[in-house]
Amino acid sequence: MNEPHREVGSPTFTASRDGACDDAALLRRIGQGDEDAMAAFYREHGQVVLAQVLLVTGERVLAEEIVQDTMLAVWRGAGSFRGESSARSWVIAIARRQTRDRLRRRRLRVVDDAFLADQPSSGPGPEATALDRADLAEVMGAIRQLAASHREVLGLAFGSGLSLPEVAGVLEIPVGTVKSRLTAARAALGRILNEKGQNR
Amino acid sequence: MNTGPADTRSSHLDLADLIAEANGQAIDDRAREHLVRCEHCRAEASRWHLVAGGVRGLAAAAPEVAQPARPRHGRLRVLTGPRRRTLLVASVAAALVLATAVGLGVSNNFVHIKFGTGGNGAGPVLTAVTGCTGLEQAVGRLEQVNGNSLVVKTASGQPVTVTTTASTFVSMSGALRSEITDGASVMVRGTRSGATIAAAIVTVGQPFSAVNPPGYVPVQGTVSEASSAGFTLVTSGGTRIPVTTSADTLVIVPHASLGQLQHGATIFAFGHAGPDGTLSARAVTGITQFPPGGPAGAHLHISVHLKVGAHVNGCSPRAIAAALLPGS
Repeated sequence: MNEPHREVGSPTFTASRDGACDDAALLRRIGQGDEDAMAAFYREHGQVVLAQVLLVTGERVLAEEIVQDTMLAVWRGAGSFRGESSARSWVIAIARRQTRDRLRRRRLRVVDDAFLADQPSSGPGPEATALDRADLAEVMGAIRQLAASHREVLGLAFGSGLSLPEVAGVLEIPVGTVKSRLTAARAALGRILNEKGQNR
Repeated sequence: MNTGPADTRSSHLDLADLIAEANGQAIDDRAREHLVRCEHCRAEASRWHLVAGGVRGLAAAAPEVAQPARPRHGRLRVLTGPRRRTLLVASVAAALVLATAVGLGVSNNFVHIKFGTGGNGAGPVLTAVTGCTGLEQAVGRLEQVNGNSLVVKTASGQPVTVTTTASTFVSMSGALRSEITDGASVMVRGTRSGATIAAAIVTVGQPFSAVNPPGYVPVQGTVSEASSAGFTLVTSGGTRIPVTTSADTLVIVPHASLGQLQHGATIFAFGHAGPDGTLSARAVTGITQFPPGGPAGAHLHISVHLKVGAHVNGCSPRAIAAALLPGS
């Protein structure tokens, strides 16, 4: 049963957010060694960063370590924040690099080129049909089985409060490629759900 | 929306509109009107809604990130001497152990913990715990450990036997610096002084909870060069951070064994009472008082108030364990 309008999550994950000016001020204070500002920044962004990293890594302890390393990097590098992007996308980009480095050390790849090819869906094929028949719990389970690159782009688009251009900035790819990757991620999700449906 | 004259690919909504719609963001009137009358786009929007819901569901299921915050100075309770140390230790430990049990968190930047029973010496051996039918609580000093059971003496002086099984959740906290050994995985919460962290709280082993008491950003790593004065914390990225500890450093072991509980520790046990008056424990935590005479430089300032009773949010093993260690 498809329930497209069911709300899940917390206000932490709303799609848009204010406070960009506050973030810039916080980062200036962090750059000056203000620990209170660091704590405030952590409260503002830590949960979203953790959720995104956990979505990509699938490992709680590893994700918490990466968030910690990310916040240490923020502490050390806040002075280099130039305000060319939002603080949210800046810290998520740092987390992404930390994640990539950590997974690379474990001989895994966050971004596997094999998954980056454009795979636009072509109408309501079996994958779309499988998605139509899936419920939320099944979708959550299927997302966990996606390739890291697909989990990553879905998390950025729907869990981090970033706009598509900001997602593109974090991933360092054009907006069009973000769209292609999202479409490919959804198609892969549909294939997983379809296979599960056939196995039932 | 792909409706321009030059766009011959589709007359349907652009993916950016569908993503924005799934995120609850505003889309322009033209796109909205199209969505109303286009069955194909409504189906697509529905699918993206479901995907977005799945992502948010996973995000909502993520553990709570540590929430550092400073206590409000206007509400600090400053004590001195041994009583100060004792209260600070008890209060910090209680903050970590019982915040959920009494339904209070650290989100208000200041923790008022209410715990204990029978302070006047006439309290009952076991007290009811709300939130889980049949669950009761024993509180007292640890007299002895006999295999899988504990003998706890309540404030009224009555002994109560607490039995445990392999599935009983056991934790402990207090002045337990000896638990900080080389190679141990730890979470340090403290204050910075240059490159050094003065540890207020050290959690040893796999943390059960991600909740912080107010005021500190956690740093996680592995212990190296442990001594009575501190240790070197080696982070996952290889950074080496000097950490100092003192007699006031609170050490928490979320996953302990009965043998690690120290004689005289304050024991909180949740479980079901047997006909013989024993408590079959589902969760036990021991709080070891700090020794008198330690340095007075305690780091945390959290007030404590005593109150009978506790609360759990359900009867699952994790819920009961969480009542003793919040924030799971």
